[in-house]
Amino acid sequence: MLKKLITKYNEAIFDTDKKTVFQIIDDALAQGFSPEEIVFELIVPAVDNMMKSVGEKMEVNLAQHFFASQIASELTEKLVAKFISIPEKKGNVIIGTPIGDFHGLGKRIVTGCLYAHMFNVIDLGLNVSAEEFVNQAILHKSNIIAISSMMYHTATGENGCLKVRKLLKEAKLEHKIKIIVGGAPYRFDKKLYEIVQADTWAENGNLAGIVITELLKTTQSWQQE
Amino acid sequence: MATGIERLSALANGNIIDRVPVFCNLLDQGAKEMGMSIEKYFSNGEYVAEAQLKMREKYGYDSLWSLFYAGKEAEILGCKKIIYSKDGPPNVGHLIIKNYDDIHKLQIPKDVSSHPAFEQQLKCLKILKKEAGGKYPICAYTTSAMTLPAMLMGIEKWIELLLFGPTEVRDELLEKCSDFFAKHLLAYKNAGADIFVYANPFGSTDFVTIKQFNELSLPWIKKDIQQVGIDGIVYYCGSSRMNNVIDTVINELGIKTFYLSPMDDIAEAKKIIAGRALAAGVINDIELIRWSKSEIRAEVKRMFDAGMPGGNFFFGTLVMPYAIPEENIKYMLDAVYEFGHL
Repeated sequence: MLKKLITKYNEAIFDTDKKTVFQIIDDALAQGFSPEEIVFELIVPAVDNMMKSVGEKMEVNLAQHFFASQIASELTEKLVAKFISIPEKKGNVIIGTPIGDFHGLGKRIVTGCLYAHMFNVIDLGLNVSAEEFVNQAILHKSNIIAISSMMYHTATGENGCLKVRKLLKEAKLEHKIKIIVGGAPYRFDKKLYEIVQADTWAENGNLAGIVITELLKTTQSWQQE
Repeated sequence: MATGIERLSALANGNIIDRVPVFCNLLDQGAKEMGMSIEKYFSNGEYVAEAQLKMREKYGYDSLWSLFYAGKEAEILGCKKIIYSKDGPPNVGHLIIKNYDDIHKLQIPKDVSSHPAFEQQLKCLKILKKEAGGKYPICAYTTSAMTLPAMLMGIEKWIELLLFGPTEVRDELLEKCSDFFAKHLLAYKNAGADIFVYANPFGSTDFVTIKQFNELSLPWIKKDIQQVGIDGIVYYCGSSRMNNVIDTVINELGIKTFYLSPMDDIAEAKKIIAGRALAAGVINDIELIRWSKSEIRAEVKRMFDAGMPGGNFFFGTLVMPYAIPEENIKYMLDAVYEFGHL
């Protein structure tokens, strides 16, 4: 039964058909599936399934990524409120675009995917200074700073990721706070994340959740001093 | 020596005079050429025209640009703030559409040519026409109806409206943007531009599903193009791939030039086109920043090996990042002139 539901749900996500997606969720609840089952066995795997399709060279485009992430985020928020016990978040992620970058679409897709993956996301918005990234990471005891760039010069600019790295080094926080980058320039040059001194990069929002989960394993918790 | 116009005309007739045409899109680099800041450079059409002519002369490629930066279109439609960078293209810093009411209020100027925000481009075009008209193709950048809203309301809000919003509001905005597209292109045409780069990432299946392309993008592409005709139109999706839609675009619109994505398979594009149009192989100009001389040569060779068989092929770049070292531009062009030669 759940298998059938997953197939129908995935098809609706790929067709960017919001009405059908919500109908499937309502039907699933009516059939007695728990909100926990729906989130962890339907919604989150669907986000990952999209990633798997990319790997299999199926066409997955920007509209589908955007749709999947927004729907996953919206449904997760709605259904988590109905959980018997509220699940523990995996951690806080600070996200924003660097100085001079006013393109927020990638950031929004990533944010939606991270919500579905049970991260708490603190979205600093557009045109964020390196100091603000670091200060907010300290304030929220976050282990991850995610920097999304649309333009080459904002990805590589001295006030972007490079400065975040410099500030983390100066504050001796590199073992606690890791940097992940993403966005168009990184897709066109897969070594660019090394040039901007990030710890890693993710090709899209779906992958970001997986990559950040792995990255967290290499960081020191804020509780450990 | 042949001119760019002669090379392009010959290619359109299935011939190569000496080498294939080469479109090298240097925009922000003009500021470096003129020894001034990017902000000062784009403040005066004379600077832009002078730099365009100098850079074409210096590197020997075939194209001239009347484009300053893409956000100029938003300025014509009311954007009051452009954010300048010292090492990259200017960005729109004020979105003129913040809510649906702003869409209802959006006014398209009756005549783009006389609009103050077009004045410097007009000045630039006049100089280019006087100095190089008839010798080198003057390119204009015109954003499609489906893509222009991203500059007016931000791409997040635009995709949200496309996917989840009321269709009547979406269509009202598209109608206005298509009207602007035609008027904008006409202003360029009247001022002497020869080539019109029809910029439409939403005309790529990297942006929308094939169903959305057929049901939404294609009708608006048709509406845009039917207002202006296909003469001089170049189908361009930015860095997004177009191989999935080329056949449909040729069959439905008859567009004669396709400016591929660096991510498109050139040989596959040629096969799809099957002699019905020209194809530009486009280099990955992000990797060009750090490639060595031999890597650049190998990549250019790879592109020509894929594109040259059967002809109807030329070479292009995307909007070259400011950070590309000048010597890498030269290495790229040396290789292009070598492999694109008869």
